[in-house]
Amino acid sequence: MASLQHSQAIKGAKVLMVGAGGIGCELLKTLALSDFQDIHIWLSGALEVKGFAQLNAGCFLTCEMVGMIGMIGNVVMRCWDCFYIWLSLLFGVTIVAWWWPGAYDERLPKKVVMIDMDTIEVSNLNRQFLFRQSHVGQSKAKVARDAVLRFRPHISITPYHANAKDSNFNVDFFKQFNVVLNGLDNLDARRHVNRLCLAAEVPLVESGTTGFLGQVTVHVKGKTECYECQPKPAPKTYPVCTITSTPSKFVHCVVWAKDLLFAKLFGDKNQDNDLNVRSNDAARSSEHAGDAFEWSGNEDLEQYGRGVYDHVFGYNIELALSNEETWKNRNKPRPIYCRDVLPDRMTQQNGNVDKTDDLSSASAMASLGLKNPQDIWCLMENTKVFIEALKLFFTKRRKEIGNLSFDKDDQLAVEFVTAAANIRAASFNIPLHSLFEAKGIAGNIVHAVATTNAIVAVFLFKWLKDKFEVDPLLVSRLIRMTYCLEHPSKKMLLMPVEPFEPNKSCCVCSKTPLSLEINTHRSKLRDFVEKIVKAKLGMNSPLIMHATALLYEVGDDLEENEIANYTANLEKVLSELPPPVTDGTVLTVEDLQQEFTCNIHIKHREEFDEEKEPDGMVLSGWTQAPPEKKDGKTSIGNGASTSKSLPTKPGITEIDIEVKEISDVSPGTKRKLSEFSDGSTLDQSSDVDVTRNNKKTQKHDEDDDLVMLDHWDSNMRKKH
Amino acid sequence: MSGGGIARGRLAEERKSWRKNHPHGFVAKPDNAQDGSLDLMVWKCIIPGKPGTDWEGGFFPLTLHFSEDYPSKPPKCKFPPGFFHPNVYPSGTVCLSILNEDYGWRPAITVKQILVGIQDLLDQPNPADPAQTDGYQLFVQDPNEYRRKVRQQAKQYPPAL
Repeated sequence: MASLQHSQAIKGAKVLMVGAGGIGCELLKTLALSDFQDIHIWLSGALEVKGFAQLNAGCFLTCEMVGMIGMIGNVVMRCWDCFYIWLSLLFGVTIVAWWWPGAYDERLPKKVVMIDMDTIEVSNLNRQFLFRQSHVGQSKAKVARDAVLRFRPHISITPYHANAKDSNFNVDFFKQFNVVLNGLDNLDARRHVNRLCLAAEVPLVESGTTGFLGQVTVHVKGKTECYECQPKPAPKTYPVCTITSTPSKFVHCVVWAKDLLFAKLFGDKNQDNDLNVRSNDAARSSEHAGDAFEWSGNEDLEQYGRGVYDHVFGYNIELALSNEETWKNRNKPRPIYCRDVLPDRMTQQNGNVDKTDDLSSASAMASLGLKNPQDIWCLMENTKVFIEALKLFFTKRRKEIGNLSFDKDDQLAVEFVTAAANIRAASFNIPLHSLFEAKGIAGNIVHAVATTNAIVAVFLFKWLKDKFEVDPLLVSRLIRMTYCLEHPSKKMLLMPVEPFEPNKSCCVCSKTPLSLEINTHRSKLRDFVEKIVKAKLGMNSPLIMHATALLYEVGDDLEENEIANYTANLEKVLSELPPPVTDGTVLTVEDLQQEFTCNIHIKHREEFDEEKEPDGMVLSGWTQAPPEKKDGKTSIGNGASTSKSLPTKPGITEIDIEVKEISDVSPGTKRKLSEFSDGSTLDQSSDVDVTRNNKKTQKHDEDDDLVMLDHWDSNMRKKH
Repeated sequence: MSGGGIARGRLAEERKSWRKNHPHGFVAKPDNAQDGSLDLMVWKCIIPGKPGTDWEGGFFPLTLHFSEDYPSKPPKCKFPPGFFHPNVYPSGTVCLSILNEDYGWRPAITVKQILVGIQDLLDQPNPADPAQTDGYQLFVQDPNEYRRKVRQQAKQYPPAL
């Protein structure tokens, strides 16, 4: 079957990898060991590579084992059952063994281009095994390349330390590849690559993992659905009143503590804050609030802390209780006052508060002698942490107050938010949670599992092998999408699925027009650009047209008068634009780079429901995700560090996990695996404890990279 | 979609491809219509005189008027009225084979090709197809005077900034 011509074509084949992160490292290793020879790495955020010390199967297996050990830690931690661990272990090893004999295949393509914009962080090292301690701060794509070249010197890997959305990576750039492999960590970049692959007519193999879940999907223009044919779940958001007045789950308390209270006390004072919206005596409340939240500058800090406490957990609850209607069908909350929980002033605890001058290490837990982040504190402990954390912010980090926003890596902020959420939970009779759990909820953290990444990478590779080894005519019949399942079905952890046909109503690959309900007399062009064109359609360089008139463009190449014109347009309401956009208008929106165009039919509508339609506009025909997922997984707001521009829809995420150890007192804990000590002596504070199951050390602090939850799971597919 | 839709789609493509890449010194952008909107049907362009020719130093304003039938029909290309060149009508309209739908026009010809074609025409007039008396007469009868007038005209159109 494989004629000479055919294998010639394969030899010249080129592969583009986007992202050099968890999946990227695994994939690059697999490609290299199987003798791909020209790899381009596009460092745009997720392909990362770990360091290979030696070239042999043993090392290969070691890396897998590292991942598995990490996984076991997680599993034990989460009390998963042994059966599952066993199965996973078996599986990881099996897959490695399975592919090993297939390596060194002459017929596979030998050129890989890799793109990733990220640099290596300490937290990557536990699973991105091409990287070592000494690489921290360097480009992932470049280090990954160097690491692989050490054991496969003849391979051509071209790394780009750049953003995948860079205009250099245009349709022509994509056209040079036979296939594009995605190992990305965000929806934005995935959609961008999807569009470029459609435009360039290059097959896209898309992948992602979320903890134990993972999937590999294949997207071939015209044959299978594109990445955007199916809705992607949006992060859950909560109605404001649930957060401000009627929380029923712990997550509501965390959102309240993080987005309202924390923001009110330490964030930008000019920002809208709904902390007091529910009081029925606005004037009195705001006066009261002014007193409670403003620190006069000479007031005793503990006094101030107690005042804030009493205001938010006592007074505000009393106010809420005064509205009988609210509580007819709900359990009434209980006001909590500081004096009742903590009658006496706090004294200096344990004496080690002032020992350190390192501002970043300020920790209420440390100064209160609380050690285990997995302990659930009682109300009194939470109260102490609340006051202590507040005091520490004002004594150690006063300069930052007014500019702080919640960061899951900020220990003191996490302590404060945990304590506040727990006190509120106590008030509303909701079970309390540990700092570790609260941090996971507040930071939208899902722990990455190296083995899942490895399995997913293998399936990416398997597809590639099929593509190049099998007669091209057969390939389309062999395409499978593969899901890693969290719970085995029919004792199978991997589920292959036939790909779906393109969705005819997909506005990306089927060019189906959309319709937008909007108040054309009130909404400005800016609202349309921000909420629809950028947030929903994911365009970077939009060009908006009404018939033959240009309403809006962006780009460095525009001239001053053009920019002035468009800037003026942004502030105009739709019906006052030249030419006016009114009911029945068809707007054409295109992206300069993505080769993606869509038509939007405008329908005027006067009123929108503020709770249900907060954007003040409704886009339909777009494959928008259902906002709620029944599995109770949540992602609140957007605490995630690399997700800044993803207000509504995370992609299938490649997840990072970091395991750090806080070494506050005892310097005794040693690393468990010798291969992690290949670097120089490690700073205790960044020590990597891969075992994770040693609960006795009681000093674990999971410090995870962001993650946007994404439960793009098989349920959705089954419905299809 | 109507014919207008085809013209609009094509013009949007032309706009995008121009923004991505265009020859140095040239300008081509949609015009501000009376209501302040930027209209893709009319483009204001600037063609630089070719270096090394008598046209060097001039930046000649040209307007492209597209019709609903574009790209089946070519745009009308106009210099300012009275522009001195053998192949430019007194109204300023350029006479060039590729801009004539009965001769050289093809729908595949891009804005970029049109502008470069006109830049070439500046220094290489086609005496077989005269469009104005002044320019034509001098060109065939008094090359020195012709060149003087060309250089003089180039000075009338200095760079915009």
